[in-house]
Amino acid sequence: MPSYRSVCLAGFRLWLAALLVALGASSARGVESFKADSRHWAFQPLQRAPLPAVGAADPVDALVRIRLGAAGLAPSPTADRLTLLRRVWFGLVGLPPTPEAVEEFLGDSRPDAYARMVERLLASPRYGERWAQHWLDAAGYADSNGYFNADTDRPLAYRYRDYVIRSLNRDLPFDRFVQEQLAGDELSGWRPGQPATPEVIELLEATHFLRNGQDGSGESDGNPDEVRVDRYYALEGAVQIIGSTLLGLTVQCAKCHDHKFEPFTQRDYYALQAVLYPAFNIDRWVKPNDRVVDAHMPGVLEAWTARERQLDAEAETIRGGFAAWSRTNRLAGRVRFEDRFEDGRPLADRWTATAPDDDAPAGQPPVRLDSSSAPGAYVREGRLHLLESGAAGDRWLSTREAFDWRPAAEGGWIEATFELKALNVADGGRPAERVGFVLAAHDFNDNSAVPGGNVLIDGHPDGVTTVHVDYPGNDSRSIGDLGRTRYQPGHRLGVRITAVAGGRYEIQQLTDGLPEGKAVALEAADLPRGAFAFEYCCGRSFVVDDLRIEASDDSNPQWVQLAADYRGRLEARQKERDRQLDELASQRTPRPPRIAWMSDAGPESPVVPLLKRGNPKTPGEAISPDIPSFLKTPGSSVQWPQPAEGARTTGRRLAWARWLTEPGSRQAALLARVTVNRLWQAHFGQGLVATPDNLGQSGTPPVQRELLDALAAEFIESGWSLKAMHRRILLSATYRQSSASCSEAVAADPANTLLWRYPVHRLDAEAIRDAMMASAGVLAGKSSGPYVPTPRRGDGEVVEDAKHPEALARSVFLQHRRTQVPTFLGNFDAPAVVFNCTRRATTTMPLQALSLLNSEFSRSRAADLARRLDREAGKGTEPRLRRAFLLTCGRPPEAVEVAAATEFLARQAEVYRAAPDAGTRAWTDLCQTLFGLNRFLYVE
Amino acid sequence: MNPHATAISRRMFLGRSAGSLGGVALAHLLGRSDVRAATVSPAPHLRPRARAVISLFQHGGPSQMDLFDCKPELNRWSGKPYPGGDLEVHFDKQAGNVLGAPYAFHRRGQCGMELSELLPHTGGIADDITLIRSMTTGSVDHESALRIIHTGRFLAGLPTLGSWLLYGLGSENENLPAYVVLADPGGLPVDGERNWSSGFLPAVYQGTPFRGGENPVFHLRTPASVPAAARRNQLDLLERLNRQHAAPHPENTELAARIAQFETAARMQGAVPEALDLSGETAATRRLYGLDDPITEEYGRRCLIARRLVERGVRFVQLFLNGQPWDTHDKNAERLRELCARTDRPSAALVHDLKARGLLDSTVVLWTGEFGRLPISQGKDGRDHNRHAFSLWVAGGGFKAGHVHGATDDFGYRAVQDPVSVHDFHATLLHQLGLDHDRLRYPHEGREASLTDPEVTGARLVPALLA
Repeated sequence: MPSYRSVCLAGFRLWLAALLVALGASSARGVESFKADSRHWAFQPLQRAPLPAVGAADPVDALVRIRLGAAGLAPSPTADRLTLLRRVWFGLVGLPPTPEAVEEFLGDSRPDAYARMVERLLASPRYGERWAQHWLDAAGYADSNGYFNADTDRPLAYRYRDYVIRSLNRDLPFDRFVQEQLAGDELSGWRPGQPATPEVIELLEATHFLRNGQDGSGESDGNPDEVRVDRYYALEGAVQIIGSTLLGLTVQCAKCHDHKFEPFTQRDYYALQAVLYPAFNIDRWVKPNDRVVDAHMPGVLEAWTARERQLDAEAETIRGGFAAWSRTNRLAGRVRFEDRFEDGRPLADRWTATAPDDDAPAGQPPVRLDSSSAPGAYVREGRLHLLESGAAGDRWLSTREAFDWRPAAEGGWIEATFELKALNVADGGRPAERVGFVLAAHDFNDNSAVPGGNVLIDGHPDGVTTVHVDYPGNDSRSIGDLGRTRYQPGHRLGVRITAVAGGRYEIQQLTDGLPEGKAVALEAADLPRGAFAFEYCCGRSFVVDDLRIEASDDSNPQWVQLAADYRGRLEARQKERDRQLDELASQRTPRPPRIAWMSDAGPESPVVPLLKRGNPKTPGEAISPDIPSFLKTPGSSVQWPQPAEGARTTGRRLAWARWLTEPGSRQAALLARVTVNRLWQAHFGQGLVATPDNLGQSGTPPVQRELLDALAAEFIESGWSLKAMHRRILLSATYRQSSASCSEAVAADPANTLLWRYPVHRLDAEAIRDAMMASAGVLAGKSSGPYVPTPRRGDGEVVEDAKHPEALARSVFLQHRRTQVPTFLGNFDAPAVVFNCTRRATTTMPLQALSLLNSEFSRSRAADLARRLDREAGKGTEPRLRRAFLLTCGRPPEAVEVAAATEFLARQAEVYRAAPDAGTRAWTDLCQTLFGLNRFLYVE
Repeated sequence: MNPHATAISRRMFLGRSAGSLGGVALAHLLGRSDVRAATVSPAPHLRPRARAVISLFQHGGPSQMDLFDCKPELNRWSGKPYPGGDLEVHFDKQAGNVLGAPYAFHRRGQCGMELSELLPHTGGIADDITLIRSMTTGSVDHESALRIIHTGRFLAGLPTLGSWLLYGLGSENENLPAYVVLADPGGLPVDGERNWSSGFLPAVYQGTPFRGGENPVFHLRTPASVPAAARRNQLDLLERLNRQHAAPHPENTELAARIAQFETAARMQGAVPEALDLSGETAATRRLYGLDDPITEEYGRRCLIARRLVERGVRFVQLFLNGQPWDTHDKNAERLRELCARTDRPSAALVHDLKARGLLDSTVVLWTGEFGRLPISQGKDGRDHNRHAFSLWVAGGGFKAGHVHGATDDFGYRAVQDPVSVHDFHATLLHQLGLDHDRLRYPHEGREASLTDPEVTGARLVPALLA
C-alpha cells in the first residue's frame, strides 16, 4: 500500500507535469526568436493547477527535488544549527545572532525550535529595517535630488523610508503596499488643509515612492526647452522605476521607439506616462521643494504653533526691553529722517515709487503706496509691510527726501537702520531670501548723467550680506561683504557710512546699534545725493519698523568719550539679552514636519503627447492613459475615471494600481513573480531569475520557472503576505541545506542553478557595517527619523560624523546621497543610486581589505568589541575568545581557532611588551582580525 | 539572437584572451561572483596596439579656434556680426560679434601642423600626435557633455571609459589600482567623483583617486598604533583562519580571492608610495616635465607620476584640473595664456618621455576637453560653449603620427569634413586596446549596455585615425 507521503508526491508530480507542459511551449521558442511576443512566460497567468497537499513534502522542496533528480543529483543535508541560526538572522534582520539567541536556540530541543526562531525574527522591529533597505534599493530611494552635480538635499524623504519600515513590520499586504505608493493620496480622500488621521498620514507618505527618481527641476535654470527636458526627466525616472521594480521590464527603451525586445510599444510607454502625468504635469509644474504638504493629527500643529507664539512673545519682550533701553539711553546723533510707521498716516506723504530727481517710477508696475495689493506698501499694526508680487520684477519704495551720504569731516558718519520684523507678510508664505535696501537712490533706469549711487545692501537671512554699487544695470558691481549677523527678524539692522582719510568712505554693518564685521571702501563718486529706498524683488516680502537716518553730531567735543561709555553699556545689555534668548531657543521643538508627497495638479485631464523620438520639442499625438497592450485580456478593461465634480485628482493612478494588483490577472502574476524573485534573491544571493529588473524576453530565463510560479501563486493566495513568503522559503529544506561542497554536484551544476546546496554569499555593505557595530555592542537604537548625515571630510572620505549622537545607527538610517555614498559602504558595493538598484554587485577588491584593516571605523569598532569583552567575559583567554567568536561569528570557536588565536595573542603581547596597555592592544588587534574573517563576512 | 544563449563567462573570455595578462594579476578581477553575470562575446579578439591610456583631461571646453584650428576668416570678420547664419548659443543674451583669435599660429614639425603660439611644446610633438579638428558632441551643458565624453551618455551615474577598459582588459599589476585618477590638489573638477565612477559596473572597476600627502588612497596606511610586526601577525592569523574556513569549499574562488586580497592590500601599501616617489627621477627628466618652474611644477609632477604608473602596469590614468578652467566665458585670451603656460610643457614632456622609453607605442596619450567654443564673443572678451566642433589630440598606441584629421567651417563653428563623434572616438580608442566596442557589453537595466551604445549613437570605428 502506498504511503500517504508517496500519494501526495504523486499528486504533486501530476500537477507539476501539467505545469511544465503549459510552460514548455514558450520555453522552446524563447531563445531562437526575439520577436516581441505577449506569449512570453512571465506575462502568462499563474497556473491554477491543484497544489499538492502540503505535509509530507514542502512544495518548494518537491519542485527542487524533481529537477535535482532529473540531473542525477540529491539535495545537501541540513546545515548545522548555528549555521542556520546565523543565516536566518542575517536573512531576516540583517544582524548577527546575539549570544543569548545562540544559547537559547542550542538549548531548545523542541521539534519546532527552528520555526519559532523564524517567527520571533519576523516579529522583530529589526526585520522592517533590514527589508526596507531591499525595497528602498528597488524603489530607487535617495536623500538627494541628483540630476545636477549639486545633488541637493531631500530633507523629508526619510518619512517615506520610515513608512516602508513600518509597513513591512506590520506585513501590510503587498498589493496594498503598492497601491499606497502609487496612489496613497487618492486612496486617502484627504484634502490639503484638513486634519489627518495616522492612516491618512501613512498614505500621503507612501506617495513619495513616485518622487524617488532624480529631479533637477528645482535648480533648472536653462532656456525653456532645457527646463522642460529637466521636468520630463523626473517623470521618466518614475516610469522607469515602476517598470523595473513592479513590472520587471525595461520600459525606458520605449520612450523613443517601440521596444526592440519586448512587446512594449512607444504608445504603451506614453499611455503609462499618461497615468502619472497629472501628478507630473509639465505645464503646471511644482518644484520638488514645494511639493510638500502639512498633514497632521488634529491639534498637533496648532499646539506647536501656540507654543512657538508664546516663545516668540517672550523673545519679543526680551528684545523689546533691550530696544527700549537703547532708545532711551542711546547717544543720539542728529536724526535726519525717522518714520515709526504709525497707523493712519498715509505713506505717500513721505514715500514714493519715484526717487527724488529720477525721471520715471522704479519698475513696472511700480510699488502701490498705501495698498495691500502687490506690489504694495502699507502700514499695519504700526509696521511697514513691503509686499512684492511674483517671482520676477525689480522696483523700489523710496523716501521723498534726498540725503547727503558723504559726511563732511573725517570720522563723521551717517547711518540708516530699521527694525526687521518679519521675512514674510502673510503667515505661511515663503520667507524672503533677501532684505534689500538702497542708499543714494537716484536713478532706477540707469540713465542719469550723475554716475554712481544706488548702493544696494543685499541683506541675507541665512548667508553673507553683500554691497553692490550702481544697481541695477550692466555697470552694477559688487564691492564686498558685510557684517556677521544674518538679516533675521528681531534685530535693528542697517549700515553706517564713515568718512575716512583721503576723501574716501567706508561702509559697515550696524547690528542693534553696534558696528559689526569688516568695512568696505567706497569712493566719493559712489555716494551722490539720493534717497533711501527699500528694494522689491523676486517675490520677497518683509516687514520693518522704525526707519531712522541719523548722522554724527560733530559739534559736541566730548563725543568720543561719551560714545565709548555708551558702547560699553550697550555691549553688556546685549550679552544679557543674547543669553536670555539662547535659553528661550533651547525650549523650542522642531516644527511638526511636512510630508513630501505626490499628487495630481488637479482633477482635469491634461493633454499628454507622445514625444517623437522621446524629444519634448517634438510632441506628437495626444495619448490617453491605458494599460500595456500585451497585458490586455479580452473582455476586461480598466475603467478610467471621468473628471468628477469636486474631485481633487484624476484618479488615474489609483485605477492603474488596482488594475496592476487585480487577483487572477496576468499583470498581478507578473508583479508577484518579480517580487518573489527579489525575495528569493535576498535570501539566496541569487534570484530564480538572474536579472531581477528584467523578466521580459531579453532577461535571463529562470531554470526553476515552476518554482517561481508556485511561489508567486502562493504569494497572491496568502493575501500578498511577504512574511508568509519568508516562512515558505525559510522553512523549506532547500533553504536549510548545508552550503558544503560536493565534488560531483559541483561538476554537474557549478552555478548551483538546481539548488543542490545553499550558496555561500557575502554580506551586503549595510549588514557588514551593522554587524560590526552590533558585535561591538555599540549599535545605536535609532529606528526612525531624519537621516544621520554623512558629510565628505576634508580628506575626501565620506563618513558619518563620529560626534553625531546617532552616528552608530543602522546603515539604513544614514544619509543616502546619490553622489556621496559613505566610503566604507561604497567599497562593499552599496550603490550610488541613479534610477534604482534591483541587485547589488558583490565584488572582492583590495580596497575592502584596506577598509577592514585600516579605517577608523574598523579600528574603533574593534576597540569597542575589546572593551565589551572586558565587561562581559572577564580575564580568562578562553572565555573571552568564546565570547568574541560568539559575538562576531555566531558560534563558539573551534579548537584550532582557539589555538591560533591564543598563539596570536602571545605574539602581540611580545610586540607590545613595552606598552602599558599591551593587553588591550592585543585584544583590539584580535577583534579587528575577526572582522576580516570570511566567517564574519559571509553567510553559509 | 538572444545574447544569453551564447553567453560566456567572463572568466572564459579573459582566460582565452589573457595571453599578455598574468593569471595572478587577474585574480582580483575574477574572484567575484559578479563576473559570472558579465557577458562578453567570445568573438575573435583584436590585436591590441596599446595596453594603457593616459588621459589629460581639460575641463571646461578648450577654445579650438584659438589653439588648434587656425581660421583666417575669424580675424577678418572680428568685431563684425557673424555672417555665417544661425549659431546655437548657450548664453543667448550675451552673444556678441565675431571674436578673432588673439594669438598667432605657426606650422610645426615635419608635418607642418598649424598650432597656436601658446603651445610651443605641443608644437614640438606635432610629428607624434593626431590632431582631430572635427570632433562633435551632444550637449553644450558642461555636466552633460562631461558625461558624454566620459561615459558615452548624458545621464549621470554610468560607467566611465576607464571602468570599461578595466572591465574588458583587467589589470597588469594587482599591487596598484588599475584605474588611477590624479586629481588637481587645488580641488575636484566639475562633476566631482562622477568623472571616475564605475556606474553600474562593479565597484572594482572604479577609478581610485590618488590624493596628495601621506595617505594617497583611503585607508592605505596602517594606523600608527599598529606596528608592522603586529600587522604581520594579524595578516597571518587572518590567512590561517580563512584558509581553514575555505577548506570545505575548494571550488569557491571568491573565498580564495578574498584571502589573497589581504596580502594584495598589504603589498599595495608599499607599491603606491613607491610609484609616487619621484626621488629616483633624474634632473633631466624633472626639467623635461617642468618641475624646475613653479608654473609647470604641479602639473608636471602629475604627468611624471602618470608615466611611472603606466610603467608599473596601471591601465588607465586620468589627470583632472580643478573646476573647469578652460571655460573661458570671459577674458578668453588672458586665461588661455595662463592655462597653456601651465599645461603645455608637461603634456608634451609626457609624450617625449614615453617615446624615449619605448612606451609610446603601447600607451595612448589623450588631450581633450568636453566640447569647444563659439566663433563669436560672449560679453566683451569671452567665448560661449559649442558642441558642433572641438579639437583634441591623441598620441601613441597606433594612432597616426603627425596627422590632422577633419576640418571645420571657415569660422571653426561646425565640423564639416570627416566629423568624429565622441562615440566614434570611443570606438576607435577601444579598438586600439584590442576591444570591439560593439562586443564590450554588460547587462544593465535589462539590456546589454555598452560604452558606445552603437544602436543609438551610430558609433563606428574611424580607420582614418589609425596608422
